[in-house]
Amino acid sequence: MIKRLLWLNGLGVLGAVINHASGWGFTALFWWTDRYWGGSVPNFSQLGSASYYGLRVMEQVIMFSIPAFLFVSGFFIAFATGRNRETVAWSVVGNRVKNLLIPYLIWSVVIFAMNAALRWIDDPTQRILGTPLGYLQNLLFGRTAAPYYYVPLITQLFLLSPLLVPLAKKQWKPLLLVTGLLLLLVSLSRYAVILEMDMPIAEQILRLTPAWFFPQSVFWFAVGLASGFHLPVFKAWLARWKWVLLGATAVSFFLALFEWEFLFHQSGAEWLTPTRTLLDEVYSGAFLFTFLAFDKFNLPLAKFWSDLGTKSFGIYLVHAPVLEFVARASYHYFPQVLAYQILLMPLLIVCGVAVPLLLMALVNRSAIRPYYQTIFG
Amino acid sequence: MDRENILLGYIKDELLRGRKGDLKAVDDLLSNGIIDSLGILQMVAFIEERFNIQVPDEDVVFENFQSVKALSDYLAQY
Repeated sequence: MIKRLLWLNGLGVLGAVINHASGWGFTALFWWTDRYWGGSVPNFSQLGSASYYGLRVMEQVIMFSIPAFLFVSGFFIAFATGRNRETVAWSVVGNRVKNLLIPYLIWSVVIFAMNAALRWIDDPTQRILGTPLGYLQNLLFGRTAAPYYYVPLITQLFLLSPLLVPLAKKQWKPLLLVTGLLLLLVSLSRYAVILEMDMPIAEQILRLTPAWFFPQSVFWFAVGLASGFHLPVFKAWLARWKWVLLGATAVSFFLALFEWEFLFHQSGAEWLTPTRTLLDEVYSGAFLFTFLAFDKFNLPLAKFWSDLGTKSFGIYLVHAPVLEFVARASYHYFPQVLAYQILLMPLLIVCGVAVPLLLMALVNRSAIRPYYQTIFG
Repeated sequence: MDRENILLGYIKDELLRGRKGDLKAVDDLLSNGIIDSLGILQMVAFIEERFNIQVPDEDVVFENFQSVKALSDYLAQY
């Protein structure tokens, strides 16, 4: 089963690239319509089109990505604690955090510079630099690029792990119950806000639990911790329920897809950016456990997934500016491609994976090879 | 080449990439930040491929992967 965690990380990072590529796909579909059809924007005439549902299906399939990363990280902390120690050593946590934050800082600065250059190209007379406080907030809250919220999130979870480990070792059921209730609370609040129910408490809960803050994601990390410490129990559970889990994956996938359409229509909004719902969490868990449960099923292209898995953090960091660059270049220089998601998506996804891999390979073969980990984690 | 040297070479080449040239068999791999979660998984995959040893999940524990020496001692049973 453990070898599958590497594959899971590989699938997860491809999922992250697909997710952010589909975000640009929606932008092309509704906000950049003027570049290929003319007229004013936003233009929501493609809602309900094959392109729209294609993007929605892609987004739904890869919902498991972040829970998968959090699960693998929790599992690692369980491994790093060992059988005999009370909790994980601070030196392990410190090294892990350092290896996350230094590459994150480097790529954040690259994005700051890229954004300043784009603003300057757009209008050289405007102010191109932000305020120091703005940059600091972007770094602290992972706002440099949409996917970067994950870095402050996983950093908090690693820093909390010395407190979570004793619970995961000795009281894993209450730990999963409490963290699961936190996830449930945030998910239910999201329903209330989407459906514009008159519940100020729900708005308050969502305001207090942004994506970069740990309460709404600690559950998946705790599941990884508990699974790592109680592996025989976890594996027996997976073996017993694997067919149910497979069924739950299929059912929750379609239910979550229809649920979002229902919520979107009920909200009455012209457009709602798809966000995680409770059914998405169910689907994520079902997919994750099914993937681990069927451990005799070998993934096609296993070496490829393993390679992606080992490079997942580097790909995660680098794909964001690459996607932005390719999407904006498409907007300015070859806008017709924006009209065809069947061309735009492969272009974005291939660039989002291949360019980071190419950069990693170049660094790995150059004189700055000793700094590979500093740059890519 | 014995397993200990093969493992040392693999870690130096594939995981450290020239960062710490003086890696010793007794160095703590995790506490010194030499390998991380994915590094452990890479090591398991490498061991299975290079030595044709299937490492049981239950044996992928800190105590067996704490250092190259601990790992080669563990692998000695195969």
